[in-house]
Amino acid sequence: MSNRPDGWDQAADHDVPIPYRERISSYYQTLGYGAPYRWAHYAEVPFTPLEKPLAKSRIGLVTTAAPYQPDKGDQGPGAPYNGAAKFYRVYSGDTAADHDLRISHIGYDRAHTSATDSNSWFPLPLLREVAKSGRIGELAPRFHGAPTNRSQRVTLEQDCPELLTRLQEDRVDAALLVAV
Amino acid sequence: MCHQTVSLAARYLEENGIPTVVMGCAKDIVEYAGVPRFLFSDFPLGNPAGRPHDPESQRLTLELALRVLETAPGPRTTVQNPLIWSASPDWKLDYSNVAMLSRDEIARRRAEFDREKEKARAVRDKSAAE
Repeated sequence: MSNRPDGWDQAADHDVPIPYRERISSYYQTLGYGAPYRWAHYAEVPFTPLEKPLAKSRIGLVTTAAPYQPDKGDQGPGAPYNGAAKFYRVYSGDTAADHDLRISHIGYDRAHTSATDSNSWFPLPLLREVAKSGRIGELAPRFHGAPTNRSQRVTLEQDCPELLTRLQEDRVDAALLVAV
Repeated sequence: MCHQTVSLAARYLEENGIPTVVMGCAKDIVEYAGVPRFLFSDFPLGNPAGRPHDPESQRLTLELALRVLETAPGPRTTVQNPLIWSASPDWKLDYSNVAMLSRDEIARRRAEFDREKEKARAVRDKSAAE
């Protein structure tokens, strides 16, 4: 496994979290798309402590997955990137019901994963179990879909306030955000 | 953009009084934005909630996220899921890695990308007009 000179028990040099910002920048530059994207970057990070124990807290769920739309082309396992399946407005769904959410509108790793098990990106069924077990107080009545917009301004000025309003309406004590 | 969107949302919610935890697979994007609490899984993009068809790994991954939510001592708390994707780390060499692509493949991908971007633009324009 290891290619390191100082110890067979050490990890391979490339066994590190993938440097996505670098990879994506050089990828699009090589494809011929000018200036590299400037990723969101802040020095200050806010922090709100949890007020109650989890077992008494109402938890909200936020996802970037998209509801399946039969008229929008291939969104199945392993489908190529499907821009038509994207959404640009926050949506919400009933957490008591089952949902068919897909990720063909996202640049997931198509070479190494096939998107055949939605539980690996949308843990709603498991969260219902966890709520039943008492590990969390309860699951909020709705989950919310966050649009993945290239424009940070649109995310910050349009989508974030909308998510906040909906989570406040749901009276959540904390939110779990799952990035596909 | 998923990891960036979710990071911006976590920051925004937190500034407005809602504690958050992010589950994701792109460590550099989330930490570059800066979020309060982050459970990082070193899996291919698309598996933030555990390995596919592996309920045990999904259970562990969610439980870790909940523990990060309840015990993080301060902002920028990242915990790495101890599960690994495969015995070999070689999958990490492939994603958007131009060093691994031929010239023909780069041309093919450019054409495909232009096509899909056009479709996404049409959806966005329609959505903006609503």
